[in-house]
Amino acid sequence: MLRVKGVRSVVPFGTDETIYSQVVTEYSSMLLRLACTRLGSTVDAEDAVQETFLRLLTARPAFRDREHEKAWLIRTTLQRASDIRRKAERKRSVPLEAVAETAAPDKDGELLSAVRALPEKYSAPVHLHYYEGYSIKEIAKLLGLPAATVGTRLARGRERLRQMLKEEER
Amino acid sequence: MNQDDYRRAFDTLSFSADFQERTADLLQKRARELEKECDKMTFGKTKKLAVLIAACIALLAVSVSAAVMLLSPSEVAVEAGQPLLAEAFQNPDAISINETVESGEFSITMLGLVSGKNLDVLNQNLDAAHTYAVLALRCLDGTPLENQTFDFMRYTMTPLVSGCAPTAVNNWTLNATAQGIAVDGVYYYLLDTESIEMFADRTVYMAFYEGMAPNNDIFTLAEDGSISFTEDFEGVQALFTLPLDPAKADPDAADAFIADTGLTG
Repeated sequence: MLRVKGVRSVVPFGTDETIYSQVVTEYSSMLLRLACTRLGSTVDAEDAVQETFLRLLTARPAFRDREHEKAWLIRTTLQRASDIRRKAERKRSVPLEAVAETAAPDKDGELLSAVRALPEKYSAPVHLHYYEGYSIKEIAKLLGLPAATVGTRLARGRERLRQMLKEEER
Repeated sequence: MNQDDYRRAFDTLSFSADFQERTADLLQKRARELEKECDKMTFGKTKKLAVLIAACIALLAVSVSAAVMLLSPSEVAVEAGQPLLAEAFQNPDAISINETVESGEFSITMLGLVSGKNLDVLNQNLDAAHTYAVLALRCLDGTPLENQTFDFMRYTMTPLVSGCAPTAVNNWTLNATAQGIAVDGVYYYLLDTESIEMFADRTVYMAFYEGMAPNNDIFTLAEDGSISFTEDFEGVQALFTLPLDPAKADPDAADAFIADTGLTG
């Protein structure tokens, strides 16, 4: 396999301001939905993605290519979303299940709830495969994991989702 | 569940209509603030440095370059917002190098490195170990290097492995990212790559040079496997040998990695 040897790209610090709009336009939609695999609130997802972009600005990582940049954004978004979720769980007094019950979700809502209920290590591969259409090999590169691990997590995540949705139907 | 069901469920999510505009504005505002903060800091620090240098010349008769104190790798990690990494650099497993090469207008110091899992606060879910290396760059004439003006992309910091073509094992194939931070006129590179410990039974180098991806115009691979800069390469250059622990080598993983690159020469 020939890997990219060529040009690095980087979001320059304090230079052309239009680059921020370009990065935000290009990645927001994907990152917001990805954050929602870990967060029940779209407002929290927006916070996670905004923090990710701010981190990109202040950390100024240098990227090998666009895929590398995308992988960094995906991993950072997932990490930020996990942080927000953990903080919220520490504060929450009402159990998650109780909230879910009162919401009485429809079929789409059930699926979203099921994805969020997955262990984090399963939900990211599931989402990147089912929503973004990435192959196992591509997901492995994006998440920095061996392809075999991604394959296993995807299969287990899919199976757990299937079971959860089956239980919902009963 | 099929892909259509999944996509439809996630497409029902609705986000703020002005999210993108708001976020781009926030980034632009923050970028301007950072620019101002850096200007202020540089001004203040330059004055302090001038006083320090004057005092050194008058009282201690030491050179300007010797008066510049370098941050430790741990302090660089703190500056980079990486507390776990900062801690790791203080562990006995961390390797301190502190070797300096002068090339072109620069003094290039390889400070140290550390390898381990989950040391990056942003990538806590990584299963694989990474290697983090810190290098310091300063101008020989004492001109401070600054975030705003230093051309980070002009230089490359990359591991190389003896016996392996520089095109096969390098920053790019090791999925490395580099971060640059200027502190008190010294520019620090913090490199994060897939762990290079698997190559520890070979000579492993850290190269810093003017240019992009390694190629045969920049490096030469001798018959005994050693790597050096080509005689014709005139850019800024430094090549450090990393004292890795051979006991940590994983020859099978190293061979698999090289085979996976599909690049041998």
